Amino acid sequence: MKRQFLNAGMAGLLMTGILSYTASAQSDPTGKRRVSETYAITNATIFASPGQQGTKGTVLFREGVIVDMGANLSLPKEAQLIAGDSLFIYPGFIDGSGMAGITKPTDLERPKDFVSSAPPDEIAGITPWRSATDQFSITGNQVDDWRKSGFTLTQVVPDGGMIPGKAAIMVLGNPTTVNVLMENTALAANFRGSRGMYPATAVGVMAKFRDVYQNTALALDHTKLYASTAGVSRPEMTPTQVGMTAVVQKQIPVIFTANSDLEVRRAISLQKELGFKLILSGLENYETVIDLIKSSGTPVLIKLEVPDDKALKAQKKDSVSAATKAQYDRVKEAYDMALKQASLLEKAGIPFGFSTIDAKPGDALKAIQSMVKNGLSEKAALAALTTNPAQILGISRVAGTIEKGKMANFVISTDSIFKESAQIKTVVADGYVFDYEVKKKAAKENGKSENGAVKAEGVWEYTAETPAGSNGGEITITKEGSEYSGTITLDDPSGGGKINTPIRNVALSEKTLSFEFDVNAGGNNLTVTITAEIAGASMEGTMSVGQFGSFPLTATLITPSLTH
Amino acid sequence: MKKLNFILAALLGMGLNYSQAQTPKGSVLIKNATVLTVTKGNLENTDVLVQDGVIKQVGQNLSAPSGGQTIDASGKFLMPGIIDAHSHVALDVVNEASSPIVAEVRMKDVVNPFEIGIYRALAGGVTISHAMHGSANVVGGQNATLKHRWGSDDPAEIIMQDAPRTIKFALGENPTRVHGRGNNIQPRTRMGVEAVLRNGFNEALQYKKNWESYNSAKGQKGNTMTPPAFNDRLQTLADILDGKIIIHCHSYRADEIYMLINVAKDFGITKLVFQHTNEGFKVAPEIAEYTMGASVFADWWAYKMEVYYSTAFNAAILQRNGVITSINSDSAELIRHLYHEAAKTQRYGGLTDDEALAMITINPAKQLGIDDKVGSIEVGKQADLVIFEGHPLSSYAVPQMTFVDGVKYFDIKADTDDQRQFVSATEMVEPVYLHAEEDHQCLQDVDAYFEAFQGAFLEETL
Repeated sequence: MKRQFLNAGMAGLLMTGILSYTASAQSDPTGKRRVSETYAITNATIFASPGQQGTKGTVLFREGVIVDMGANLSLPKEAQLIAGDSLFIYPGFIDGSGMAGITKPTDLERPKDFVSSAPPDEIAGITPWRSATDQFSITGNQVDDWRKSGFTLTQVVPDGGMIPGKAAIMVLGNPTTVNVLMENTALAANFRGSRGMYPATAVGVMAKFRDVYQNTALALDHTKLYASTAGVSRPEMTPTQVGMTAVVQKQIPVIFTANSDLEVRRAISLQKELGFKLILSGLENYETVIDLIKSSGTPVLIKLEVPDDKALKAQKKDSVSAATKAQYDRVKEAYDMALKQASLLEKAGIPFGFSTIDAKPGDALKAIQSMVKNGLSEKAALAALTTNPAQILGISRVAGTIEKGKMANFVISTDSIFKESAQIKTVVADGYVFDYEVKKKAAKENGKSENGAVKAEGVWEYTAETPAGSNGGEITITKEGSEYSGTITLDDPSGGGKINTPIRNVALSEKTLSFEFDVNAGGNNLTVTITAEIAGASMEGTMSVGQFGSFPLTATLITPSLTH
Repeated sequence: MKKLNFILAALLGMGLNYSQAQTPKGSVLIKNATVLTVTKGNLENTDVLVQDGVIKQVGQNLSAPSGGQTIDASGKFLMPGIIDAHSHVALDVVNEASSPIVAEVRMKDVVNPFEIGIYRALAGGVTISHAMHGSANVVGGQNATLKHRWGSDDPAEIIMQDAPRTIKFALGENPTRVHGRGNNIQPRTRMGVEAVLRNGFNEALQYKKNWESYNSAKGQKGNTMTPPAFNDRLQTLADILDGKIIIHCHSYRADEIYMLINVAKDFGITKLVFQHTNEGFKVAPEIAEYTMGASVFADWWAYKMEVYYSTAFNAAILQRNGVITSINSDSAELIRHLYHEAAKTQRYGGLTDDEALAMITINPAKQLGIDDKVGSIEVGKQADLVIFEGHPLSSYAVPQMTFVDGVKYFDIKADTDDQRQFVSATEMVEPVYLHAEEDHQCLQDVDAYFEAFQGAFLEETL
């Protein structure tokens, strides 16, 4: 990854620096200031909005705003040119709800007189006054991973309990500023109970949600009475009630995380009962509630992920009983349905967007391509990445399409993003240009070893680059029949030497090796997933650690040597 | 105005405000069965005509309904659908264990229509189950009465919408262990349990009064009275005091049963059913006089201290003392053969066929407040029916077909291997082995299983 911050030379300063940095125009000791804030992507194929044919042309943008676009633009002298020949430009993707860049605030210490049956709101995960802006950092976890997948805007939701706080729309641009597009855009909520205190379960969360909502409404009544009548006792709204007010007054929606169809029904029924505005987020299984979503008119953000096919791959071909075979078929059927669901939303005429929470940034395009392969139209897929979330988030005026006057948010790819071979080369967010490494096609050819088959078994020496520094060890993979298993050595997270731990779900799909293992870090059990592409005696990929992000990993085969 | 509406809705304690789904209703003619009506004796070679989910006619030589199926049940027995007054099947959450009173939580919020237990219950002739909150709290959540309309993906469609509200209470070891021993708060003893109940009801009376004063004041000119805080917990307790909710109380010992009867008397509560009630036989006349009865196990005890003083004659003693008595499962396994459980009252206590069958049909219906709709084969009742091969109280009885509202949801001839409604796309299919050797430790850990503890509160030990 390389961010394109050109050293500000004298010429640059003289020409444009003064225009935009009048307040601090004396000098730029960091050397990070851009030479010019005007760019032109020339002669690219522009897909300005979902459903539109690509047209050859140039896009000119300045200070984060699209100034002009078309075939024969006369470009200002200060414009930095990005050669777009052979490249495809799409509007920057918009994440309907995400947690990139969010750091969970540390849990509060329990007071001495803590009673778990009636905990303070803040400890019980009821913190509607909190804002995602306080937890967000543009340099935080996964921000660049998601940007690299084409996302330029994200509605970040805060981390926390059943009502963690207010969401905010962030633009994934300038790495040195705050990047808020809109604050307090929605209230995040979910069915997650608090550990070991009230409300501990989904059924308690629903009761508590009603309680919080209705008492806010009553507190507002009290406040109104106080304003209009003398002799009324002084109202005192709790921080929770202050935080809930915008929801109760229907100024902002509740963005409810609802993974399954039953959770969708629960959120919609709470909404019908109480009357708030609702957005459903993180949907995974929703085939049975498509009609309900449609009839209730609830905006939905489905999880940007398709289920992994490990269970399918693990199905044995031979020597299974008819009963097991029948069960296999049902899993296959469920899997096919899971891939088809998004297309069913389109058929029902529901303009959905995506949520990136708990999804893997590296697999985002693959997930989209899989949905398209399973019936979703390319137009609807692009709309789900751009215009639909812009509509749901209320930012259509400034984002979602490539149009004069809108934000300069673009995804620039080497091919149609619906082709497997497509790679995202450049992402422009808020007029900031981020270049990414494009793997050469030739690398794919090298995936085969001399005898034509990709081999995973053997001992691999790996290095992973994490924020905590370089980490390495050995991965040992053995094969019995068609089953893989193995072990990995790694630096003991609790310090002191290496540990050796078994790996599981080892799968080799064409050239891609993937497996998981568990590691205990500070009392937390983390699942680490490694996905890497094998090219002969080397592999290259990522190591992803739950919410902490994913990190580049490389490995070389030390035994057995493929060439003997 | 809208605000008022939702508060009203909440005060009425409505469960999930699902759109009233149109539940399927069937028409069918069942011919030549031995009809065990439970309330009106046994009728040989009799036809039962069901039209649009309701029993239309019981008699001979009836003609088939238009568009309905005719089933020849010659040599077979037809009985009312079995009703389980204590179950946790089809619930995503059982215990909100975190507070001694959680009257505000509603099991209707977490009904899961995909749970295979529903189908298994149907295969045992059970058409209605009482999906209860767990017993970790003195006052648990509000229960859901379910109709086993298997195949629906909408929880609202399996909730019996015309059943009255019921709520779970629990006395004795469970609430004192969870809150007293586990969290060091009241109740630590049975005395504490009583105090929690009395305090709760007194607070509810105060709450109700506050709202009444506010509601009458707020419309008046120059009113300065401000709205009281909303508290669904106290509102629900107030609804119990107003006779809108039937209490179903987990209880074992005679002293605690008698305690709750006294508390109920003091607060004018009459809608009260005891669950488990293992020592009910010691206070049978009191239960008979003052309550809506007891729902018991046929022969299950000794899984914890308070359940040692027990007898398999419990149900018969209660019955013969005039207690409305039902036999329940509290288990996804026992629910499949409640007819066996009912038959045990004949072995231990010599109850008649009708008395024994009433324990799993009309009596639980009375305890759930739905005996005007289900629980016997009578014209005008909802057509929840089971066809048995063999008399249902025989050890050799096998349910053949089960109907809810005249719709067949189980047919032993169409009982294919895999009846699951929901299969995960990422499920690893493991081969299934049947255990060859006998498992002699079948009661091990039964306590935790049976109370459906979720463990969260155990970590709170100070």
